Amino acid sequence: MKRIWGYIFIAILFFVLIWVWTLQLEASLNDSEFVSGGALFFVIFVLCMFNVRKRLPFLPLWPAHKWFLLHTVAGFLALFLFWLHAGVLWPKGLYVQILAVLFYGTTLSGILGLIMAKVYPNLLTRVDLECIYERIPRDLAEIRNKAEGLILECTEKTGSDTLAQHYVETLAWFFQRPRFTLNNVFGGQNAQTWVVQQCSVLERFLNEEERGYLDQIGALAETKRKIDFHYSLQSMLKKWLLVHVPLAAAVIAMVIWHLIVIQVFFN
Amino acid sequence: MDENKFDHDQSPYERPNFPYLCGRGALWRTPCNNGPKIDGSCGGTRDCEPFSKEGRWLCRREKQFGGSCAEGPGPRGECSWQRPPCAPRKTLRVIRGRIAFLAVAAIVVLVAFSQAFNPDGGGGFISISDAVPLSKAHKKFTEGCASCHAVYGQGPAGWAKAVFTQLDISERCVTCHSFDGPDSMAHNEDLAKGREVRKTQCIMCHREHSGERMSTRQSTSEQCNTCHKNKFESFSQGHPEFPERYPYFERNAIKFDHGSHLKKHFENPKFTEKAPTSCIDCHQVALSDREVRPQGYEAICIDCHGSQIKKKDLVLIRLPELMHDLIDRDALVQACNSPAEEKTDEEFLSVSTEMAALVSAFLLNVPEDDPEAYEQPLQELILAMAEESILPLEDLINSKTDNKSMADKLLIGLNPEVLKRAACSWGLNLEYAPPVEAKFGGWYADMLEVRYKPMGHRDPVAKNWVEFALAVSTIQDDESPTTLAMRDQLISAKEGVGGCVKCHAISETITADGKKKLAVEWHYKDVNDRPHSNYAHSSHIEIMGNKSSCSNCHILDAKAEYMASFKDFNASKWSSNFVSIERKTCVQCHTESQINQDCQSCHVYHLNPGFKRKMISAKRQMPEVKKIKNDM
Repeated sequence: MKRIWGYIFIAILFFVLIWVWTLQLEASLNDSEFVSGGALFFVIFVLCMFNVRKRLPFLPLWPAHKWFLLHTVAGFLALFLFWLHAGVLWPKGLYVQILAVLFYGTTLSGILGLIMAKVYPNLLTRVDLECIYERIPRDLAEIRNKAEGLILECTEKTGSDTLAQHYVETLAWFFQRPRFTLNNVFGGQNAQTWVVQQCSVLERFLNEEERGYLDQIGALAETKRKIDFHYSLQSMLKKWLLVHVPLAAAVIAMVIWHLIVIQVFFN
Repeated sequence: MDENKFDHDQSPYERPNFPYLCGRGALWRTPCNNGPKIDGSCGGTRDCEPFSKEGRWLCRREKQFGGSCAEGPGPRGECSWQRPPCAPRKTLRVIRGRIAFLAVAAIVVLVAFSQAFNPDGGGGFISISDAVPLSKAHKKFTEGCASCHAVYGQGPAGWAKAVFTQLDISERCVTCHSFDGPDSMAHNEDLAKGREVRKTQCIMCHREHSGERMSTRQSTSEQCNTCHKNKFESFSQGHPEFPERYPYFERNAIKFDHGSHLKKHFENPKFTEKAPTSCIDCHQVALSDREVRPQGYEAICIDCHGSQIKKKDLVLIRLPELMHDLIDRDALVQACNSPAEEKTDEEFLSVSTEMAALVSAFLLNVPEDDPEAYEQPLQELILAMAEESILPLEDLINSKTDNKSMADKLLIGLNPEVLKRAACSWGLNLEYAPPVEAKFGGWYADMLEVRYKPMGHRDPVAKNWVEFALAVSTIQDDESPTTLAMRDQLISAKEGVGGCVKCHAISETITADGKKKLAVEWHYKDVNDRPHSNYAHSSHIEIMGNKSSCSNCHILDAKAEYMASFKDFNASKWSSNFVSIERKTCVQCHTESQINQDCQSCHVYHLNPGFKRKMISAKRQMPEVKKIKNDM
């Protein structure tokens, strides 16, 4: 926590320096846009370096968590520098508006990503289960196989297909793939309620032995629900970048074009 | 969950950096045992592989996928446990990269499209000029981007060159805009007096591409302080005091003594009814801006001063006292067609005992009070007038000036017959008896004089005579007493023709060739000697009201010797009717947290900004302007 305040302090100091500099330039009738624009370009460059750093994990280029802090603080700094550079919240002109839309989109998606990165890991640690995102399909398949094995065993041993029929009609849908994704993203309890409901509704129609199997299937469903929760949240932690990174790439493309135009027409 | 499930022999090693993931896993089935490789290929469709153990063929698989297979191999050596073919899917990482690439490609296409679809090499639907739209004025007047941007439309080579070339866009601005001074110097004037000051550029203050309204940088005191020697915080704090006599630097064109009128004449019961009740009765508040001009003579002066002009005649010629009769009587009789009359031997006794008129004395270049000096030329003139009426007078007048049409201006309306008859009478040493009294103004002869009676305000003959008197008095290098006497009489407030100079000031000016010249200030004079200052009376009157707003700033100076200032021809030396306005008067309102104190509220940066001829002709070619002209 202390570390981030250090970054924030440096960012504020940097912004104030640039701001004062631009004010002085304005006072002396010079172009302050070149200073604010140059500072903004530098910060955008630093932001891009985070992605480069992630692609070069073998190089001793500072720990990733420091890069993340730097990226976060620099992102907010870029927003304030953008306002300083543009002079307005919403610029006029189609070309600059496209640039502004992309920049605001990148910033907003970054802020959402930051919120998720701060909130979701805490929620995931509360689940007494750990799983690797890439192995979730294998885990789900394993649970599904176990559940189907139990159903077969139950039918064979008890001679009753009540549980099997119920499984085919209801629980099979649940075990097929991750469910209640959106509800999990927002921290809902629909999955748990649904599993409990589906198990309890059948309980009175089962004998003692079948209930034993139902309990085991219930336990598997609970495990699967936890994996689903992991899947939902970890998916969000990965998929927000599908918005953030392309927008950032578009911003950089526009910034380069902007620089070319400035250099050509306002040199 | 099994804690050991991620051991090396329990599960395959995950490679999230690979660009593919198992297609079967993506469909939430059990992923393939031999997942996709880096090139996207899968490990095969069989779970089990045949192997030979102690001379016997068996089927097996890795322990993590179940170990030995229960069945197989078959007669042809193949193992069972086959799986349908798997189609690997792209990982999120790859999808993200592709979307990012598409986003960049979209921007590149957009820019290329905008460049390609403009005939000038730029523009399109996200044109460069659309960085932010141009102001309304420049959108209409300029001929596209190239009007300001030299590099526009010159292609990639031109662009590359422009990056390494210093551009001064101000050079383009002044192809249309003009100033009364160097355009790249502060305030369009060399105010630095030898000091090193930086060159100014239009874009230092004026910003284009700021939307429809032209954006001008607000001039703050700090910005002015960067160049100005007198540095100050704001108008209320530190602004230099106004100079002495501010803002009454130049003498008025019209001699209107506010002091005597307000304190003396308007309070006189004789004039109370005609007197104005406030400043706005005389000054045109409705049209005020920098000046609050008074209304014309006919609106505000004529009630009291209307009759005075007609009372002040010009005496062109007067038959003065003569000592001898030197006129050729035969010639006179012939010229006047009068009965022959022989000269008698009686002593000549002049019919007049007056002095010669100053105007005729000047024209003949003789002293007006020396009969011996003037009688010969004057009697020659009388005879000449009797013979040729107006012509000898014209010749005399034109001989005094370089302007050969001066006589035409001065003698407008002079009836030759009247002049001839008066000359004939005077030649015979008789008074001229007019048929009736002259009442309506103009030229007339009466007894011993030829006079001009002004017909009213703006009388052209009276104006011309005053201007003639001033012109000849400055043309002549050796100012003779007769010239000065004639001039002083004509510009006398009491005796001068029409009494023009009672109200109109005469000021000395310097002509283009450096000569001094006296000129009558016939018209109200706007104060235009401070081109960098700006003051709007209208907005101040609007705030403070019509009645009392004038006296808040313009305080009458009872001690000022206003009229005495006009005795001299030097317009810069004078005493105003009003006390100088001081900064503290303005600071009453223009102060912190009250009314705006920006420099631009009172100061104009440029020196008489305007447009060049090219700009005006370009405007005439605009379709909307053409249409208006055609409609007219």
